Amino acid sequence: MTELLPELLLLAGAVAALGTGLAVPRGRQWTGAAVAVAFLLAALGAAGWAAGRPDATAFDAFTVDTATHVTRLVVLGATVPVVALAAAAFHGHPRETEFTVLALLSSLGTILLGASSDLLVLTAAFLLASIPAYALAGFAKDAAGTEAALKYYLTGALFGIVTLAGTTVLYGLGGSTSYAALHRALPAAPPGAVAAGAVAVAAGLLFKAGAAPGHFWVPDVAEGASPVAAAYVTTIPKAGALVALFRLTTEVVPDVPQWPPFLAAVAAATMTLGNLAAFRQANARRLLGYSTVGQAGFLLLPVVVAASVPAARAALLFYLAAYAVTNLAAFAVVVATGRDALADYAGLFRASPALALCLAVALLGLVGTPPTGVFVGKFLAFAAAMRGGYGWLAALAVVNTVASVFYYLRWLAPTLAGRFGPSRGRSLPGATACAAAVAAVALGVLGGIVR
Amino acid sequence: MTAVLAALVLLPLGGGALLLVAGRARPALVPALAVGAAAGTLALACLAAAGRPAARFPLFAGLPGGLRADGSAGVLAVTTALVTLLVLVYAAGDIGGARPRFFGFTLLFAGAMLVTVLAADLAVLLMGWEVMGAASYALIGFRWDDGARVRSAATAFLTTRAADLGLYVAAGCAYAGARTLDLDALAAAPAPWRDAVAAGIVLAALGKSAQLPFSFWLSRAMAGPSPVSALLHSATMVAAGAYLLLRTAPLLHATGWAAPLVAWAGALTALLLGGVALAQRELKQILAASTCAQLGFTVLAAGTGAVAGGTAQLVAHAAVKSLLFLCAGIWLGALGTGALDGLRGAARRNRVVGACFCAGAWSLAGLPPFALWATKDAALAAAPWQLAAVGVAASALAAAYATRAARALLAPLPPAAPAASAARDARAVPAAPAAPAAPAAPAAPAASAARDARAAPAAPAAPAAHDTRDVPAARDARAACDAPAAPDVPDARAARGGAVRGGALRVLPLPVLAVASAGAGLSALPPVAGEWRRVLGVPGERGPEWWEFFGTALIAGVVAVLVGIGVPVRGAAVARVFGSQAVARVFEGWLGLERGAFAVVRGVRAAAGGLARFDDRVVDGGVRAAAAGARRAAALAARADPDPVVEAVARAFRALGGLARRPQTGQLHLYYAQAAVVLLAVVLAVALAG
Repeated sequence: MTELLPELLLLAGAVAALGTGLAVPRGRQWTGAAVAVAFLLAALGAAGWAAGRPDATAFDAFTVDTATHVTRLVVLGATVPVVALAAAAFHGHPRETEFTVLALLSSLGTILLGASSDLLVLTAAFLLASIPAYALAGFAKDAAGTEAALKYYLTGALFGIVTLAGTTVLYGLGGSTSYAALHRALPAAPPGAVAAGAVAVAAGLLFKAGAAPGHFWVPDVAEGASPVAAAYVTTIPKAGALVALFRLTTEVVPDVPQWPPFLAAVAAATMTLGNLAAFRQANARRLLGYSTVGQAGFLLLPVVVAASVPAARAALLFYLAAYAVTNLAAFAVVVATGRDALADYAGLFRASPALALCLAVALLGLVGTPPTGVFVGKFLAFAAAMRGGYGWLAALAVVNTVASVFYYLRWLAPTLAGRFGPSRGRSLPGATACAAAVAAVALGVLGGIVR
Repeated sequence: MTAVLAALVLLPLGGGALLLVAGRARPALVPALAVGAAAGTLALACLAAAGRPAARFPLFAGLPGGLRADGSAGVLAVTTALVTLLVLVYAAGDIGGARPRFFGFTLLFAGAMLVTVLAADLAVLLMGWEVMGAASYALIGFRWDDGARVRSAATAFLTTRAADLGLYVAAGCAYAGARTLDLDALAAAPAPWRDAVAAGIVLAALGKSAQLPFSFWLSRAMAGPSPVSALLHSATMVAAGAYLLLRTAPLLHATGWAAPLVAWAGALTALLLGGVALAQRELKQILAASTCAQLGFTVLAAGTGAVAGGTAQLVAHAAVKSLLFLCAGIWLGALGTGALDGLRGAARRNRVVGACFCAGAWSLAGLPPFALWATKDAALAAAPWQLAAVGVAASALAAAYATRAARALLAPLPPAAPAASAARDARAVPAAPAAPAAPAAPAAPAASAARDARAAPAAPAAPAAHDTRDVPAARDARAACDAPAAPDVPDARAARGGAVRGGALRVLPLPVLAVASAGAGLSALPPVAGEWRRVLGVPGERGPEWWEFFGTALIAGVVAVLVGIGVPVRGAAVARVFGSQAVARVFEGWLGLERGAFAVVRGVRAAAGGLARFDDRVVDGGVRAAAAGARRAAALAARADPDPVVEAVARAFRALGGLARRPQTGQLHLYYAQAAVVLLAVVLAVALAG
């Protein structure tokens, strides 16, 4: 059982937070969040402790290895600031603790998604990660949030069914749902059918990662849902989904020749669509939504070459960690300022230099400016793609990166001039933004040194 | 034992730094503290030499540093510490002002020399070497208010510094080739690297030891106070180069070419600088040139593999030369002149000083049974006959210059000597009444002022004043332009009529050094030589035969007697020996080495200037022209504002952005349709491709 200690602590945290929320009056609902954070920190400690132990497998379906360790650390570490943001944003809300519980459960599903080495567990984890997230998207119960939740849910339903269909096909071809068994059996099966099945399985994961063709929900949810929920669903599920794709690539279909070109096409389409569509957005959250689509394309680069380049794993995991903190820093600034229109950010630098600096770190970080973590992550990812023979993809990624400077600067430039309108003072989101920005830089500096 | 090693290095370094920083608070205590530190250092050095400790400590990643006091390192450490102690005792009675600075830098210097001597690898060696060079600059330029001395210090420093670059090359190549900086492992480096390491070490060592062609800096270094000369140019600094060559003798022999090169450089230095010494008119210049010549024997020994003999020569020379420099310092202070003519009979003024000087000169002449006679033979023991012949000729020259100096100093005292000296020089003064270069303050005595007046180019009448002696006319005029070093300016006490302050302290070290310069030769003589070689770790080395000792003694004796009974060997005689006055002038001017070096420097500067102009006009000019062109093009483009290219790219991307947003209709059924079509297409594509 010790192999699953972080997951169990996370589950216990969700239950304890739910119980606390039921027990305490509305004015002190923040204790639920505090309990959740305590359990998250305990789970982080357990994950760190587990990272020092040898690799293992639980129930033949849950692999504990480096990828799982990093997934745990990233998901748990990213859930803490989301809970903090939610505690500030929904303070005094009738269902304040519910948000925390749903986020914790979705995080649990995300970790399972990244760690599972069996298709059935994968689909179960997909559902566990998705269903609380649908509720999170519609948490505010306003018109835009409800629309976002519905789009999110229905898109998820479609792609989930496709994944189930793919699971069925691969089970029929390989006689098992275990990755190891499939890896042994699939070479004997008709290659076209194997490839079709694997692509179908991947569909749900692409939906979770916000990659084409499952990316349609991302801008709508980012804009429609509450900012905290948007921060959650555009950041955390990506980690589990991309690690699951990585596992699929390396453990199930490393020998299928169509697989890397398929992923490369997905990556190219995702990054190009996301970056181009972000160009003329006037809404900060919608812009961030498209930006996360673009980032998903970059994050797919190491997955494309995962089977042939050993360095791809380190690139993917580092990039995921750096992306999580950087993206959360950007959303935290949005939560702290409470503004959506880019024009409303005018004069932020004079009104609140710390927040403006955090925004600059986050946006320039998303571009991939040294010394932030995303720079190291992008560098490693592009290098892995080059080494894996996907030079054209790396070149396309570089072009997209250059193009992305445009829309990030469209947000950043107005902060330097003009007058900032009166704002509600929110200290916790600001502190969260600062912490995330510091982490984004620290990851880059440390990553640069450790290299 | 490792603690002894650390203390041995840290005591003088820390003490020196402390005196420099805090010495001004109690200047009166400084000499006592410095002498105490030097005594402690000597005790530690003896302990280290007896126990032969070795220590390694982390320095760079993968390159540990090391100190060790084995064999020759221990011997040299004791020698360094002893000479430092004696020189500091002397200086306690000699240096009047700025004592914290003098004693602090001297201790710092001695500590750096100890690091150099004890270093087990090139990195630590370089650290000591560099600090030693910097401290030597501070010490030679000790009287910093005199521009000429500071320039001399700069010349000495920059010359050795330029040669030091070789050591950096050696360290870099050693690391590149052998992944180690260990001195003992250098010989095992692979071929091209090993040669580069050897070349760098030879360059640095020849520069530091003032061997040809770098000898001139030692002449300039005479601008420092006498105790500085006694320390730097006997047991330390110049000895460091020869010592480094002795330590790396296996490397020199492994390359095949470096050993003969070094041996010949040493032999030629011994011979030619012996000639230079013979032609000098200043006592300190004679001593400086003879330092080069005597170290030449050690360098020759390093080149021929006579490590025990070379080390013996190094130690014996250290004792002899520090003794002679200290004696010279006493007379310079008392009489205010360094010229041999002005020092006539000086050795008779104070019998202890005179006797000690004679012992040193006797040893320097290579006369038995004193030290340098035996050690020189030991240094020559392993040389092939060509080198040995050059060496024997050089030792004959040594006998000649040593006897010449002794003869002048022992000459019968003229009646009322100081007055006569002043009067003789005063005769020269009317020739140049407006002596422009008189370096000293009003306190400078007449003798010095007169000498400088003589030296000024506008003093054509000067030779007439000297017609009783065979001084060539041209030499006086020359003195101003290329006199190798300004003579010691006597300080105030000399002006007070030769009263010697701190006389006892200054005389105290002399007998000790005299005994050492007589007895150090035992290390090369048969009963002790075997044990000496065992200590140095070269038990199998061959010593000289009895007839070699006998032969060199005979030659030195004959030469000394000839010079002693009055065969004139001052300038004119040198001219006769070498054929012409022009040749004599060359020797008196240190072979024109400094002028040659400055010519090289001028050439380099001219080349650098040319390259800088090339860079300015062609390389930089090209860049500037390109930039100007770009600016003109930009100005042209700016006229067509807004830029059509940028506008087109922006338009294209804007259109693409619109296209990319087209699928994002916000209507779920269209999302479904698009996703389904794409998924189906992809599934079909991969299935068919399979």
